[in-house]
Amino acid sequence: MGDSQYSFSLTTFSPSGKLVQIEHALTAVGSGQTSLGIKAANGVVVATEKKLPSILVDETSMQKIQILTPNIGVVYSGMGPDFRVLVRKSRKQAEQYHRLYKEPIPVTQLVRETATVMQEFTQSGGVRPFGVSLLVAGFDDKGPQLYQVDPSGSYFSWKASAMGKNVSNAKTFLEKRYTEDMELDDAVHTAILTLKEGFEGQISGKNIEIGIIGNDRKFRVLTPAEVDDYLQEVE
Amino acid sequence: MSKSAIDGPTKGGFSFDLCRRNEMLVKKGLKGPSFLKTGTTIVGLVFQDGVILGADTRATEGPIVADKNCEKIHYIAPNIYCCGAGTAADTEAVTDMVSSQLTLHRYHTGRESRVVTALTLLKSHLFSYQGYVSAALVLGGVDVTGPHLHTIYPHGSTDTLPFATMGSGSLAAMAVFESKYCEGLTRDEGVQLVAEAISSGIFNDLGSGSNVDICVLTKGHKEYLRNHLQPNPRTYISQKGSFSKKTEVLLTKITPLNKLVEVIEGGDAMEE
Repeated sequence: MGDSQYSFSLTTFSPSGKLVQIEHALTAVGSGQTSLGIKAANGVVVATEKKLPSILVDETSMQKIQILTPNIGVVYSGMGPDFRVLVRKSRKQAEQYHRLYKEPIPVTQLVRETATVMQEFTQSGGVRPFGVSLLVAGFDDKGPQLYQVDPSGSYFSWKASAMGKNVSNAKTFLEKRYTEDMELDDAVHTAILTLKEGFEGQISGKNIEIGIIGNDRKFRVLTPAEVDDYLQEVE
Repeated sequence: MSKSAIDGPTKGGFSFDLCRRNEMLVKKGLKGPSFLKTGTTIVGLVFQDGVILGADTRATEGPIVADKNCEKIHYIAPNIYCCGAGTAADTEAVTDMVSSQLTLHRYHTGRESRVVTALTLLKSHLFSYQGYVSAALVLGGVDVTGPHLHTIYPHGSTDTLPFATMGSGSLAAMAVFESKYCEGLTRDEGVQLVAEAISSGIFNDLGSGSNVDICVLTKGHKEYLRNHLQPNPRTYISQKGSFSKKTEVLLTKITPLNKLVEVIEGGDAMEE
């Protein structure tokens, strides 16, 4: 079809109707470290592998799961630096919303605004799409919510989802294990088991990260010690 | 094209474009717009465990009391509060804005906000508006470096003090502080001294009145005592008439209304 001839420019459609740069961005995401999210009946959990390039790297210095507002958190698969830029932008948008309306930003609104930013970078000159997919976990008046945002700017609400290297295995595993009335603790266990499936090496509190939000509507990242406790429960 | 997501220094500040026109209009006799001022008494003092802020609750519009119980102690961060005197809209807007900026700063750094950060953000904003943002603030808080108390003037200058007063009632309040303040006050002594200073402003200054609000900030803990003292209680006339509560009820009689009035069945409906 001659798609390759149209892959140089982001803002040019290929004859098959695709924007090839976005496809490539999704490939970049697909080769990133696995991350997943599960929506339970009373909360949401997100988890990710935290494989560092060498044992000499100080693992406490970097945190993959970030908080956007007190009740919304986010994790990614793909390029770390792109994620940092999006997190900064989203936090600012959430604060601006709060200043304007004096209410905490609803999860759907924040997801929509972040997705808009990502879409802008697919329709401008001289920029490239973000090489990350995001999993946004939040708890607001509509209850627990989990959204996935892609480099193209499209977003979907999921009951459970995975992204990155091991996505197909992880999704199959989640499809089998997911139940509508899961509690948050069960969801954490399921998340750990899903990560374990495709994990190379010894899994521990130091090389995975877990973030949870429950009925208290406070998103927090579990400490390595807490993660180890959950790991022991799963054993 | 969308701008880079990295924030640069804020551009803006007071625009002098219309100054010449305004001067010409004033010369021709136009009165400028009046604002809601908080002719106020606001105070702050450092005590042994932290900072205590106090304020009255009267908002005036010229000679009229516009709000008898307004809140003049504004939230900046969980460990930093700010009293505001001057134009009410300005103090609200400026403290809201800096509070928002500090929230973002806390997310990015992962640390508790420092009072000097709030101070610098406020003073740079006020300076860039050349005194046209009429907000005189008493900023206090406790952070990792200890308790801090500052005053900020509308043109952007600041002071760092162990005790401070601002607003039209500042002289009355300062008189109380100057005679009774000492270092190492306990919490109760501090609260009492602040209440006394504000009360002095309430009773001796026309621009201050109503109640006393107090905020006590210590390491890791804050106490917002809204209407801690109410030396000017308001009495209302009850809707049911002015019988005092001790009046005895002798007889309760209920007369069904249809005995007194003729009810016509199947009459004409009322015209729309």
